[in-house]
Amino acid sequence: MDGVGEKGKNPSGFSRRRFLKGVGVAGVGAIVADYPLLAPAEPTSAPSGATSGPISGNVDIVLTVNGQNRKVTVEPRTTLLNALRNNLDPPITGPKLVCDMGTCGCCTVLLDDKPVYGCLTLAIDVVGRKITTVEGIGTPEHLSPVQAAFGEKDAMMCGFCTDGFVTSITGLLKANPHPTEQEVREACKGNFCRCGTYPRIFQAALAAASAK
Amino acid sequence: MPLTDPSPAPPLSWGPNDQHRLLNTRLPRVDFPYKTTGTAIYSYDVHLPGMLHGRILCSPHAHARITSLDLKPALRIPGVRAAVARVGVGGLLRFEGDPVAAVAADTAEIADDAVHAIDVNYEVLPHVVTAEDAIKPGASPVYPNDPRDTNNIRHANRSGSAPAVQDALNSSYVVIEAEYRTPILHHTCLETHAVVVDYRGGDLATVYCSTQGTFSIPGDAARMLKLDQSNVTGIVQYMGGGFGSKGGIGAEGQLACALSKQVNAPVKMALPRRDEFLMAGNGPGSWQKFRAGASKDGQLTAIHIEQYALGGLGNGSLAAQPYVYHADHVYREAGSIHTNEDSSRPLRAPGHPPACFAMESVMDELADKLAMDPVEFRIKNLGDDNDHIRQLLRGAQEIGWVRRSQTPGATPGTLKRGFGCACGLWGGGGRPQCVVTVGVGRDGSVTVSCGTQDLGTGTRTYMVAIVAEELGLAMSDVKESIGDSRLGNANFSGGSSTAGSLSPAVKTAAINAKTEIAGAVAPLLGAKPEDLVFSDRKISAAGKTLDWNQACAALPSAGISVRGEWQRGLSTGGAHGACFAEVEVDTETGHVQVLRMISVQDCGLPLNRLAVESQINGGMVQGIGMALLEGRVMDATLGVMVNSSFMDYKIPGCLEMPREMLPLIDDGDTRQLVVGVGEPPSIPPAAAIANAVFNACGVRFRQLPITPDKILMGLNPKA
Repeated sequence: MDGVGEKGKNPSGFSRRRFLKGVGVAGVGAIVADYPLLAPAEPTSAPSGATSGPISGNVDIVLTVNGQNRKVTVEPRTTLLNALRNNLDPPITGPKLVCDMGTCGCCTVLLDDKPVYGCLTLAIDVVGRKITTVEGIGTPEHLSPVQAAFGEKDAMMCGFCTDGFVTSITGLLKANPHPTEQEVREACKGNFCRCGTYPRIFQAALAAASAK
Repeated sequence: MPLTDPSPAPPLSWGPNDQHRLLNTRLPRVDFPYKTTGTAIYSYDVHLPGMLHGRILCSPHAHARITSLDLKPALRIPGVRAAVARVGVGGLLRFEGDPVAAVAADTAEIADDAVHAIDVNYEVLPHVVTAEDAIKPGASPVYPNDPRDTNNIRHANRSGSAPAVQDALNSSYVVIEAEYRTPILHHTCLETHAVVVDYRGGDLATVYCSTQGTFSIPGDAARMLKLDQSNVTGIVQYMGGGFGSKGGIGAEGQLACALSKQVNAPVKMALPRRDEFLMAGNGPGSWQKFRAGASKDGQLTAIHIEQYALGGLGNGSLAAQPYVYHADHVYREAGSIHTNEDSSRPLRAPGHPPACFAMESVMDELADKLAMDPVEFRIKNLGDDNDHIRQLLRGAQEIGWVRRSQTPGATPGTLKRGFGCACGLWGGGGRPQCVVTVGVGRDGSVTVSCGTQDLGTGTRTYMVAIVAEELGLAMSDVKESIGDSRLGNANFSGGSSTAGSLSPAVKTAAINAKTEIAGAVAPLLGAKPEDLVFSDRKISAAGKTLDWNQACAALPSAGISVRGEWQRGLSTGGAHGACFAEVEVDTETGHVQVLRMISVQDCGLPLNRLAVESQINGGMVQGIGMALLEGRVMDATLGVMVNSSFMDYKIPGCLEMPREMLPLIDDGDTRQLVVGVGEPPSIPPAAAIANAVFNACGVRFRQLPITPDKILMGLNPKA
């Protein structure tokens, strides 16, 4: 399962995720059976008279998010991103749903400290893994060096991509505490910013690295 | 309403631009701790108890009639709670993406299933989705019953004398004849259009919407919910980009209201990216045909221009040529070409970047024919436009224009470097629409509030800065509150008019607050109110000083709350800019890398230099997209868009960024007036890059985006 939705690679989870998303929920029982950590939730019964159409297959799982074990009910096809944003209560909305196909990086989360696309990762695939979202990197009261540097350099405008960039760069600095600007560009090549703040994002990453 | 100021007080002034304590300095934006930690809640993030998720069924055809529509199969899916049709049987759909119906379900996944389960049949009708097809004789008319359209062309205006222009061209030293085209572009706001309608029955509703106008929400939603407008609250706390595409609640908001009304439950309608491309925003393309001449000494003599905006079902927009330049004889024909595509919307500096690209290419082509330096040629034709002349000279110096080869394509080897430049112009200005309140508590707390919205331009930050500077406080002493229709009115953010409309009202409110505080505090200091000095969190007069909190203790127990409205003399329109680019063209692969970009932009009094520079950077980045990457691609036969995803519609990313980008605020502009600068810096960058590509490889590309295939075909026309 290493490399689930991992950025910059052809992720092993991609084909399965696309398959599951594509077929709806019919026939996922066999796949769910691969996951001993999953508990089938109450099956939703189809109303009488319905003879066709997808059947809901909910499962209860526990996700380890920002140091907390959070119970959540998902479908096998539910992405980690949607599980965080829609299924958790209260939700975690720092990671954004923007392209839903692994191109923009706004959904980036750290999986065991490595950046992955939340929209290309299935929630049921990451049970037992350490998930860190931007909320787990710092808070308004206790900003991480990366978050503080983003403010100082004005590395954001509308801010919708910011959570993804902060997370990608945090992942980069964990693996490579003193990157060159070229390495920052490479690490963020899977993140888009439409307002055009890239130059200042690069500056913020380098400033955060030298502040550590 | 009389336009004269009824009060005898002297008109307000910001004072000299170089004598501010906070304004015109580099201020980190006040909301950055929220935007960097996932705690800024966008409309897309709003999550309410019992909230349903909506999805829209979009037309798969460019032109079709609905022959049958059955929502029941969708409603039979467990978890689906509501379904509404937008177009009935017999109804016409006029573009791929035209909303047909919508559903709401317990989860987004179920809503996805449900929208596919809707049983709908279409009679497919003839369509046109490209300008070439649209103007062919016998093409399917987009507006068959509108006499203003001929072959899908709608002429808007004609000006000048074509024969006089022809005479002048006949006697010109050099003449070029060329056609320039730019494709339909997409705003691609990262936050797609998103609305959450919180209606649970009864008389009241709250609507969270990613829109450029907080005050456009209540009226739009009230009509759909059949409520009183004054009973609907609009909320725009954080906004993930608009660029002109987000006005009102849109079709998606109307459908969310209808679904919510059907089941008395909150509904979130957040468009998937593909729907965003198809039904929620594109900026018009352009088709511009020029004949232009110049004299031997480098004066434009005459220009014949036919310019058409490609606005889909809409008319689009295109700035009038010859843009910032002057010629003695100009003939202009302007209009639109209609196609079966979603109506275009304003896109950052509507109509200007395509007009700029064409005219600045014409300037470059003429300069090349005259063997004149392009900067020198431009300056000769700018008349007394000293702003652009100053900016061209500064930009040329900063980028090292002297390094530019005078012979296009002359760099030896396969990696060829070139330089280009272009000028941009925008109006903007301010209007009397904003009502700002400044509240000061007896505990010294200060809040500035207005219902306006911050699109990412830094509105919150300059509101705080204006009040803090006026009251002698620090940024951290002042809190802001925006994005709520229960607060004071504000204008829609369009045309770079927010800063020019809002900042004077904030200034006025801050001055009014100061006056009221002075009245309460003066007796404690034994001084006249007008003699009080507010600075360093203190109020002083006559050798006595109170710190801010001591002074505020003199206020009434409820504190004070004062209003301010827009006043003349604090803002204006007219933003000028010049952009320079240095590029490298790989003649083996056709790849263009922008190496350096410099953009010089004026904006009167820069409220926050850090934020203005970010706007200038953003304009350059979007210019890279327009010049090299972006464009809607249609399948003319099927009538559908073939690149409706970020996989295929490429926007600039980290690897496309130049090695160096220099956003320069033109302090040569000494106007002590606020000039909105959201749109202007996005105008000239694409033209500057296109001109740099010509200088690099010696081939002129008249159609954007300049993709590697075009470069290779241009370099090897016989291949």
